[in-house]
Amino acid sequence: MSSRILLVEDDERIRASMRLALEDEGYDVDEAASGESGLERFTDQPADVVLIDIMLPGMDGFECCRQLRRSSAVPVIMVTARTDTHDVVAGLEAGADDYVTKPFVAKELAARIRALLRRSRSTDDPSVLSFGDVEVRPDEGAVRRGGEEVHCTRTEFRLLCELAANPGKVLSREQLLDRVWGYDYFGDGRLVDVHIRRLRTKIEPDPANPRHILTVRGMGYKLAV
Amino acid sequence: MRGYRLREEGAGARGAEVRRRRRPWGRLGLRSRVTVTFGLGALALSATMAGLTYFTARQFILNERQTAILRQAYVNASLARTSLRSADLNVTQLLDSLDTLPGSLSVLERGGEWYATSISVGENAIPLRLRTMVLSGAPATQHFVLGGTPEMVVGLPIPSVNAAYFEVFSLDELARTLRILALALAGAALVTTIAGAVIGRWASGRTLRPLAQVSRAAETIAGGRLGTRLVAVGDPDLSALASSFNHMTDALQERIEHEVRFTSDVSHELRSPLTTLVTALGVLESHRDEIPERSRHALDLLTAELRRFRRLVDDLLEISRVDTGSAELSLEEVEVGELARHAAAAGGAGDVPVEVDPAVLGVRLLVDKRRIERVVTNLVANAAQYAGGATRVAVEPAPGAVRLVVADRGPGVLLAERERIFERFYRGHSAGQRGATEGSGLGLSLVAEHVRLHGGRVWVESDTEGENRFVVELPVSGDGRAGDDDAAGETAPETTVSLAGPGDEVAPPRPEAHTP
Repeated sequence: MSSRILLVEDDERIRASMRLALEDEGYDVDEAASGESGLERFTDQPADVVLIDIMLPGMDGFECCRQLRRSSAVPVIMVTARTDTHDVVAGLEAGADDYVTKPFVAKELAARIRALLRRSRSTDDPSVLSFGDVEVRPDEGAVRRGGEEVHCTRTEFRLLCELAANPGKVLSREQLLDRVWGYDYFGDGRLVDVHIRRLRTKIEPDPANPRHILTVRGMGYKLAV
Repeated sequence: MRGYRLREEGAGARGAEVRRRRRPWGRLGLRSRVTVTFGLGALALSATMAGLTYFTARQFILNERQTAILRQAYVNASLARTSLRSADLNVTQLLDSLDTLPGSLSVLERGGEWYATSISVGENAIPLRLRTMVLSGAPATQHFVLGGTPEMVVGLPIPSVNAAYFEVFSLDELARTLRILALALAGAALVTTIAGAVIGRWASGRTLRPLAQVSRAAETIAGGRLGTRLVAVGDPDLSALASSFNHMTDALQERIEHEVRFTSDVSHELRSPLTTLVTALGVLESHRDEIPERSRHALDLLTAELRRFRRLVDDLLEISRVDTGSAELSLEEVEVGELARHAAAAGGAGDVPVEVDPAVLGVRLLVDKRRIERVVTNLVANAAQYAGGATRVAVEPAPGAVRLVVADRGPGVLLAERERIFERFYRGHSAGQRGATEGSGLGLSLVAEHVRLHGGRVWVESDTEGENRFVVELPVSGDGRAGDDDAAGETAPETTVSLAGPGDEVAPPRPEAHTP
């Protein structure tokens, strides 16, 4: 069965061309012209990956992503016309896993989608990784803090697994981008930074003064047990 | 006072003419003119005062002296008369017994005989005119010079004993006193003049300080930091200057931002149709086997041109971001050799050798990876387009910096064009040779902007062996300020320059907080 992609984009021609390109890559494509209809469609028929354009009439892409996140951990890719820090970071903070900038090449987009799908289906490692009162179960795809389940997106989960699998070892942004997102050298370090920030709010007792996920200046991040 | 000459555009030639016709005075700076004026004013004032003092004092001293001299001469003359009338006294003894002031000599004539208290003075010492007047019965005084010293002679006829008494007073001491007075006054005038000039220089410096601040602010603005404003510190005169300056800058900033926003908006608006074009052409591209030969050729043309168009939009957007100052650096620490290798590979120069000097192995730079990658990519693309391709990419050490070099063996860049090729849309002598170009005309200017944002420099050079080198020099950061939670870059903060009056303390302007 091929993967389903939900495309939330108001520009009809962009939608049409993307459908052609993504269908060529072997995906099933579902379309929505606004944030509201996108959410409806997702409820009716969940997709494997959601592409959301930031500039939407009515509910904007950020809000659409936030609402989607309330009920689902589905991988989300933001489509932005600007590479400005504000848009990219705001999109990631709204819960997006990755972003592409217009105009993008369909092959690049397909590669990003593949990386996200690969990640969502991975892990058959049965061991339990734990630190502090946090317990990570890669086989179940579950994180528990003090016995209670913590809801993570799949990207956050993969990131946490990478850190937890290498306790005390510094992982650079490049390494994390490569292992979690499948990017090579030129991935955007902000992806890592924002996801780390999101993870901290979920598993740290005091996210402003992290005890587990530490920043190592000039190097990257490490997990302190 | 001379002021600015307002000049509108177009009046340039006339302005130059006015400048040529200026008198030498006009060539002095405002501060020098104030200094000279203050000095001259102090000189005139002190010279007048000194002159008045000198002549008043001189008059007073002379009068005093003359009165004393006359009094003594009369006393001596009457003494002589009494003595001559009462006894047949020896005249020489009489003269000796007279009470005289120091430096004065007495001469007595009696019946054609001349007697004197000193052999150096006699009948001939007394000027002839005075002698004649006195001998004819009229008392007289006269100033004259004897043997180089000023003298005053008083002649008094004593008719009752048929004699005449003369007394010669030396005014040498008086002259010396006046000379010393004159010297002292001249000295005082000189000191006052110098003091005036010094005060003028100091005061003009204080007065001009706000102007210096205005000029500094203007330079900061010219340097691209449009947010710079003047703050007047409690001086109504300066507030007016500050507010009109700020008003001007506001208007200027608004216009520039409007223009830049327009460029940025245009680029953004172009992105949606571009996305459709790129995506749709990509679909066609993946089905090229099903397309007839001629159409395939047309497709290739479209694809190539679209790539160029896309690059142009990207570059325009990038440059408008630099122009608004909203270009934010996402600084990260990277190993320079690795950076060069990746950048060369990403620039489509996969087969170009990357040579890393052993001296810079492991050196880490704090840079915005994307931008530096773009710098190398653009230089490689430039070499591909105009010089038959880059021959090598090298990383070399430099004092306090690292150099990224993209070398080629093409025709090189004319000396006259070596600066200009970094201008926007500049087409050099080789413009005519452009074949199928991918360039936007903005590539090298973006290189310059990115390098500037990193506090580095870029230039082009050629050696004798026919190798042309585009050299990017990036400073090696002292502190490792990377790895912060948010790698969000820094933007230039708005600057304010305090416009302080002469009496106010001036806070130094905030240091350039641009980029490392």
